[in-house]
Amino acid sequence: MSDRWKIFLLLSPALLVIGGLFLGGLILGLVGSFGYMPQIGLDDVNFDAYRTILTSKSFYLSFLLTFHIAFTSTVLASVLAVGTALILRQSFAGRAVINFLFQINLTVPHLVGAVGILYLFSQSGFFARLAYEFELIAKPSEFPAMIYDPLAIGIILQYVWKEVPFIGIILLANMQTMGLNYEAVARSLGANQWQSFRHVLLPMITPGLLAAAMIVFAFTFGAYEIPALLGQNYPAALPVLAYHAFTNVDLNTRPEALAMAMIISLLSVIMIFGYVRLARRHLRA
Amino acid sequence: MINHPLTATTEWARRVFFAAVFIALSPALANADNLGLKNWSEVVAEAKGGTVNWFMWGGADNINQYVSDWVGGELKKRYGITLHRVGINDTAEAVNIVLGEKQAGIIDNGTVDLIWINGGNFRTMKQGKLLYCGYLDLLRNNNLINWQDASVANDFGLPVDGCEVPWNRAQFAFAYDQARTPNPPRSIADLIKWVKENPGQFTYPAATDFNGSVFIRHVFYYAAGGPEKLLGDFDQAKFDAIAPKAWVILNNMKPYLWREGKTYPNAIATLAQLYANKEVALYFDYDPAIFGINVENGTFPATTRSYGLEDGTIGNTNYVAIPFNSPNKAAAMVTANLLLSFDAQYEKAKPAVWGTAPAIDLSKLDAGNKAAFKNLPRNPAVIAPEELARHALPELHPDWISAIEKGWQENVAK
Repeated sequence: MSDRWKIFLLLSPALLVIGGLFLGGLILGLVGSFGYMPQIGLDDVNFDAYRTILTSKSFYLSFLLTFHIAFTSTVLASVLAVGTALILRQSFAGRAVINFLFQINLTVPHLVGAVGILYLFSQSGFFARLAYEFELIAKPSEFPAMIYDPLAIGIILQYVWKEVPFIGIILLANMQTMGLNYEAVARSLGANQWQSFRHVLLPMITPGLLAAAMIVFAFTFGAYEIPALLGQNYPAALPVLAYHAFTNVDLNTRPEALAMAMIISLLSVIMIFGYVRLARRHLRA
Repeated sequence: MINHPLTATTEWARRVFFAAVFIALSPALANADNLGLKNWSEVVAEAKGGTVNWFMWGGADNINQYVSDWVGGELKKRYGITLHRVGINDTAEAVNIVLGEKQAGIIDNGTVDLIWINGGNFRTMKQGKLLYCGYLDLLRNNNLINWQDASVANDFGLPVDGCEVPWNRAQFAFAYDQARTPNPPRSIADLIKWVKENPGQFTYPAATDFNGSVFIRHVFYYAAGGPEKLLGDFDQAKFDAIAPKAWVILNNMKPYLWREGKTYPNAIATLAQLYANKEVALYFDYDPAIFGINVENGTFPATTRSYGLEDGTIGNTNYVAIPFNSPNKAAAMVTANLLLSFDAQYEKAKPAVWGTAPAIDLSKLDAGNKAAFKNLPRNPAVIAPEELARHALPELHPDWISAIEKGWQENVAK
């Protein structure tokens, strides 16, 4: 057997899963989004579902909200992760403990994190009760709204909490393989601490950071459960909007749900490309 | 590791793809309706050793426990049937599975054997021909059902036509804490006034929630001057005449709601939490039994009491149904029959178990069993079903409900 065939055979299980489950589903979804679902009596191909979505104001509001959630969470988590990784790669007393604490929430599911955020930050949650004890507020409604709020603070908090260690671990692994030599050289040539970070370390960790940030962005843009739990009801995040259409009792809204899902996928892809290009240009400069 | 981004697309896609794979692998497709069972003992014999995948809303621990432990235990003991309860968030999820399977051509080997269902989802399944029908005469306990009662024979105004089996009755009621709110509003007109006098103390879940939607219907009935005009098929002209009045009422309420009406709870569980944490003063539910359960588990204050409205509250019957492609229809029929039995209906009527109202006609029971129901204790937080039933309002046809929900989204939520 030639090497080429061997490689192909070894890759085939992975290709089958990706090609079959992902592309197959994508194509079926696409067909459904054009209104072609003969089993429920929809059998002409049309763009009605897309027209309905793209002409409704609530779709654009939902898009803005979803973009805000994904973008803000990704940027905040990236910045915090870089800072944490810089500290954690130094050796200091108790580093192992801090490192363990830093990574522990990687094992906590998103939903559990969301419930935690709810208990801590809702208007009758832990911090609100604390504020009440110290007579900072007199009733729940005086505590600032951070859950079910228009700025999606609770959702972003949850994502940042969960994704900082995810990005941080990738960066830490990255930094450890590079060692300190490059920066040491820069410092010996007269660069100050900021310059050696900005012009030596940052460009080297950028590919890893971008890859991690992309995963986080794509995930937060398409995730349903956190905005469903912590988000306001209108405008809702796009995946929540799609789910509502998909579980509507009227079968005729199924094409709309699928069209929305297609649009979410397309937007994710476009924005990830845009993000990567922008970030590359920005960091090179 | 980061969780998989399971968006609606990939999840749907996965299901359909699996369905497509299964159909490609299944050699023969038999006719679904060809069961050939002639009487009850044949059904029981056929059901023996079967497994029932029962998809049902899984949001209440006590209901889950009753189904898994009591119903599951009895099925195993009496009939050798294994019950597999599958908890879902929204009944439409189970409907989507059956629909996906039908699209993929799976006509006799589906995933779902039984669904807890009513209203719009029943309509959807009937519309999509996704149900197995016409077996009710085979069920031994069918004689405990009063099919003459229009609220049993019609599910949200849609004839049952032998396609589902009644399980529970429910009627909407309000709950309040008598220590905090001695005089809660007892009609929609009072509520409108009360909300203005008590800003921030009331809210209701968005129309996407089952209970939020039924609250909005109460306001709609009020705006229409009663449900009479709204019964029957959907009528756009009638809707257009009444709807603006209802939206005005709800929009006028808005500044006085929790969070000034800028957002609404997404689910009834959130409203329960707000009430438990004293952020709002009133709670409501389509199943008043939940008030007692929440008091007993310490979520709600012990001084919680409940009531129906003077102008009446909406009631419904909920059912179990068997999808057309269930591979265990006989076992599902035996399960439905067990659910109707005195034992099962009595067990779930106990306040410590569930406390929900029976779907069977108590007058068809013998004297001893009748008395047993009558002597059931009741948590003081739960209003007596008889008292509630004195002012009962009918549910609307699903098309009306869809129109009201959509109208609320467009005219009130935004």
